[in-house]
Amino acid sequence: MSRSLHKAHRTTPCTNYRPLIGIFTACSVLLFSMIIPSIAAAADQLTVYSGRAERLIKPALDEFTAKTGIQIALLSSGTTELVNRMKAEGNRSPADVFITNDAGSLELARTAGLFRPLSMREIERAIPPQFRATDNSWIGLSGRFWIITYNTKMVKPDQITSLLDLADPIWKGKLAIPNAGSEYLQAGVSVIRASIGDDRTKTLLEGLRDNAGAQVYQKSSQIVEAVAKGQVALGIVNHYYVYRHLATQPTSPIAVVMPDQQEGGMGAIMNVAGIGVLKHTPRMEQAKLLVEFLVAQAGQKIFADLDKEYPLHPEVQADPALVERKSFRAAMVPLAKLAELRAPTLRLIEQVGMR
Amino acid sequence: MIAVRPSSLSSLQLAALASAALVLLPLIYIMALALSADPGVWSRLWTTRVPELLWNTISLAGAVVLLALVLGVSTAWIVTRCDFPGRRLWEVALVLPLAMPTFVLAYVFNYLLGFGGPVEALWQMLAGPQARIFSPQSFLGVTVVMGLATFPFIYLLTRSALLNFNVSFEEVARTCGASPLRRIISVTLPLLRPSIVAGVALVILYVVSDFGAVSLLRYQTLTYAVFQQMTGQLDNQAASILSVLLVVLALLFLLTERWFRRKSRFYQTAGRYRAPQRIQCNWLQTVGLTASLSIILGAAFGGPVCLLILWSLSPEAFAILDARFFGFVWNSAVLATLAATAGVLVGLPLAYLASRKPTWLNTGCLQAAYAGYVLPGPVAALAVLILCLKLIPVVYGTVFVLIIAYVLHFLPAGLQSLEPAIQQITPNLEEVARTLGLSARQTVRQVTLPLIRNGIIVAWVLIFLQTMKELPATLLLRPVGFDTLAIRVWLEASEEYYQLAAPSALLIVLVGLPALGLLLSRDWRAA
Repeated sequence: MSRSLHKAHRTTPCTNYRPLIGIFTACSVLLFSMIIPSIAAAADQLTVYSGRAERLIKPALDEFTAKTGIQIALLSSGTTELVNRMKAEGNRSPADVFITNDAGSLELARTAGLFRPLSMREIERAIPPQFRATDNSWIGLSGRFWIITYNTKMVKPDQITSLLDLADPIWKGKLAIPNAGSEYLQAGVSVIRASIGDDRTKTLLEGLRDNAGAQVYQKSSQIVEAVAKGQVALGIVNHYYVYRHLATQPTSPIAVVMPDQQEGGMGAIMNVAGIGVLKHTPRMEQAKLLVEFLVAQAGQKIFADLDKEYPLHPEVQADPALVERKSFRAAMVPLAKLAELRAPTLRLIEQVGMR
Repeated sequence: MIAVRPSSLSSLQLAALASAALVLLPLIYIMALALSADPGVWSRLWTTRVPELLWNTISLAGAVVLLALVLGVSTAWIVTRCDFPGRRLWEVALVLPLAMPTFVLAYVFNYLLGFGGPVEALWQMLAGPQARIFSPQSFLGVTVVMGLATFPFIYLLTRSALLNFNVSFEEVARTCGASPLRRIISVTLPLLRPSIVAGVALVILYVVSDFGAVSLLRYQTLTYAVFQQMTGQLDNQAASILSVLLVVLALLFLLTERWFRRKSRFYQTAGRYRAPQRIQCNWLQTVGLTASLSIILGAAFGGPVCLLILWSLSPEAFAILDARFFGFVWNSAVLATLAATAGVLVGLPLAYLASRKPTWLNTGCLQAAYAGYVLPGPVAALAVLILCLKLIPVVYGTVFVLIIAYVLHFLPAGLQSLEPAIQQITPNLEEVARTLGLSARQTVRQVTLPLIRNGIIVAWVLIFLQTMKELPATLLLRPVGFDTLAIRVWLEASEEYYQLAAPSALLIVLVGLPALGLLLSRDWRAA
């Protein structure tokens, strides 16, 4: 029997799964049709990877498109996730421009060789040198400060003057902090380490960890909400989240302390959101136009008015609701140093066991 | 005797080997990465995060199992042993929570039990304005959410055990003078033990690998920590170490369950089977039972769905029902279709060979494919990610990587219906077809495939559904900006935009319902 069977088989090619092969082909066509458009579309538009929340950056990009006609594909995600991704994608990366909210990450991307230095008079005229990379491969766009926000019904303004006060056990269960994975927390801790040393920073972080307990948030907007509702009394966030909240809900019982302004204090912790142009981009001209637009007065005004950030262009005014920029001082840690400070900072955060 | 000729057998064999490799390679690679990690990273993790994470994960699993046991066993007992109006309706309805992904349930409970939420407001009317209830973002909150999401597993298994249960055992105990309590403890429960243990194992694996609920309720478990390490760190050392711990933990649970099952086998003595008599309930008991079942099901399904509908009808939700939204629907559908098809294609040769030619190699390949059981979403994502970066970096950031991760993760679910489907057809049928002159190809097409069609469909639907609901791997591996429905729910819900998350969430639940029906009709009576 088996001989005759074999004979029968030799004449038929082995396609036992023909119906399945049909499905398989259909699926692969579908798969490729999904991959190809992203490549094809890239020919005439600028792809921006953004680590900033979409609603904070999209208005500025829309304005740019309206002005220049250059379309933008905006892809928003986590900052570190995007840096990892661009490193992995290398020269194949669809990204032309990277925008994010942490100078440390920008500097890390620079040292990883992802950016192309820009030499443009427009940049040098608009943005002071301390807010850009030494070789202009990334350029700061807007400034933000760590502030303490508090619920005015639960806290008196004179109870808190410094971030270090937040480690006091009287705030147990009353404090909200960002999660350990957020770049702005990491950058802030780097600045604190550089200002007061590792030992005191560790004590501070342990205090924050114990006081916050489970009140560790993924998003700054949630911290502001929690403070406004009275779920917690105090929170650490970037200043503009509070002012954006107040702009929509002016009667909300929250206020701001610009911390560490006392004699000998370390000063407020500053960071910038910035932009870098990817080294391999074939759309250098369009990318430069975007940078030019964002550093110029029109672009800076969007960050000031809509996002409530501090514009870096010296001639653009911040929103009048904000604490006057000249009335407080910032910690004396150069932004570019945030990159090298980061690895030991992460170790410290992990050691303390912050969430 | 096999219905295919030797050379095609070897191509099948190759396919099976490739499938097994697809599953095992990432697992091995992630182990290697973890073991080669800097010892400093290991010791730092051990002294800081690991004890907390292990304790959180294990204690949560324990608490959820307790809650799910109480809910599952009692509801199963009520619908099988009591007779009251509406019993048959409840019997079916109690399965509905399975259509509810944990992240949807978590997000609804975040609102319900949240600070200043409706439940707290209600409680404050009763107990004074300062009264607070427990936060959903606590151990208790997560336990409630996960318990409500998982009790139907235990309900289903206990219910079918109670239905197939020979009541004479209980009657013998009764005639020997055992009290009702003693009968339950020393006869009924031990007989139910195998099914309950199987249900408990399901619940534990579910809790250990859950990402949706713990991330939205910000409760730190190993799975959530792996995800956070992957998105917050510039290298994957710590993530791979935590992943390996997670895999070991899941493996331990799985082996314990197998061991338990082998230890406790009960055999029905043939012949004298009688179905148990149902307790006739008077109206008072009926009201009591109906009320308690309504509370359970209302919390786990009815209430959340009503809220989702309400939110979906709000103007904010209507505003987002634009082309972009349908893009998300399309993305979800395409991904799920691709993953389900790929999963079936990968699973078929494995299941076929293992049942038709059970050599050690073939059964080994099949067992390897079940490894996906112990690979929670973020771990599967991490494994696929680092392997793809190493071997085929071109596919990084495309849908392709995502599909591999889905297949890896959901293959066991598919195999569980493919395997019995193939085993149930006796090889004789294929042999008869061959002796009657059909070629091997015709045999497969006209005999084998039609016979296992239902198994294939169920496997396909299962993988499709799971992919629709999948969250962590999609978040980590999707092409940037490529959002699915599940991702939209998670993104909106994690910023507490309840209305904006509702339409997507509702759609996911609705898609799940008919599929749930399909799966239940398969083994409703037989299970």
